[in-house]
Amino acid sequence: MADPKIIGFLCNWCSYRGADTAGMARMKYPPHVKIVRVPCSGRISPELVLRTFREGADGVMVLGCHIGDCHYNTGNHRTAKRMPMLKKLLEYTGIDPRRLYINWVSAAEGEKFASVITEFTETMRSLPPMSEVMQAEVMQSEVMR
Amino acid sequence: MSDRLSALRQAVERILPEVEGLVALKQGPAGILAPHLYQPSQATELELLALWPKYPVPDTIKMLQKAHPGAKLAVVCRGCEERGLVEMAKHAQIDLANVQLIGLQCTAEEATFCRCAKPFTVHATVTVGEKIEGAADPLTEAFLAKSQEERLAFWKEQFLHCIKCYGCRNICPQCFCNVCALEDGTWVETGRLPMPLPPMYHLVRAMHMTAKCVACRECEETCPAGIPMAIQFRLMARDVQEMFGYETGAVIEQKPPQLLVLEEGEYAKTGLPH
Repeated sequence: MADPKIIGFLCNWCSYRGADTAGMARMKYPPHVKIVRVPCSGRISPELVLRTFREGADGVMVLGCHIGDCHYNTGNHRTAKRMPMLKKLLEYTGIDPRRLYINWVSAAEGEKFASVITEFTETMRSLPPMSEVMQAEVMQSEVMR
Repeated sequence: MSDRLSALRQAVERILPEVEGLVALKQGPAGILAPHLYQPSQATELELLALWPKYPVPDTIKMLQKAHPGAKLAVVCRGCEERGLVEMAKHAQIDLANVQLIGLQCTAEEATFCRCAKPFTVHATVTVGEKIEGAADPLTEAFLAKSQEERLAFWKEQFLHCIKCYGCRNICPQCFCNVCALEDGTWVETGRLPMPLPPMYHLVRAMHMTAKCVACRECEETCPAGIPMAIQFRLMARDVQEMFGYETGAVIEQKPPQLLVLEEGEYAKTGLPH
């Protein structure tokens, strides 16, 4: 798959600033990740990730602050508890768990941000598109209202 | 009358005068069983006490406690129903202090039928029947042996039959939210059959059952399409136990992991990067 559709949920306080750092340092990384800024990575509920897949995303990234650095103290503990379980559920549903990616990127880690994006895009390129996996004809016309 | 039923009746007759009401199954007309509130004043009704097929009683207790707060109740519960009551108490749905548990141990045939790993009660002080070992779950084991593509094909086939009757949610003793995500059009699209893929309804429900499912298998029993959805719930329960050391219904004082922050050593087991 040449152009994977990837949605990245980035926490406002660390990972989004990390993306800024990468941009200001003029670092190069693949352009396939569409970034959605959220107040905290703990905001990303499993439903949200599942619907992103439902709408046709090939991969979903959730990037947050390192454990212990959360702006809301324990917001990313939720991410750390829920997302591994969701990965397991994807595995038990027959969807490649690699399609969901969780990592921690701080505001200073511009380099890590670029490498994480590159690495994930490469993984997504090696997988077939989600629409193909999920029967294309069912997926296309049925975007939720 | 079987030995087990007469033993249960003896236990119930002994406890009934001590409480205001006792919830157990009652044989109705046309062979239909339903939970019934036996009262000390109408002890003759105990003639109709019944055992099988099981029907979830935790919801009945919740209903009764809502209508009569503080009432002294007793309940005849199997292992799964006891786990259901314990989990409901943890989520502040019922008050376990006012409920006396009468444990009914399942027989080997019942455990095999339910593919139950824990067909016995652990908290009930009064128990009826022999405690037996758990039965194997051949369906889940067979599912685990499948490859990724086979798993997806399996669920595609199963979910094709789903008519979205919401029966699995309605019967579930652990589905008690006032606002249900499954009724929210943002997450679950209504009025489309067969269900578009990925199946939002089932995935969202499976996610909500994580660290909550008590493995009573009522969802599978009630499903008109016979979807073996408990496979997912059971596998998830295994992972919750591995990652967070949490088992539903085992320890009354233990808080469910979704209500707590990460503890020392837990993070390493989640498989996330450092």
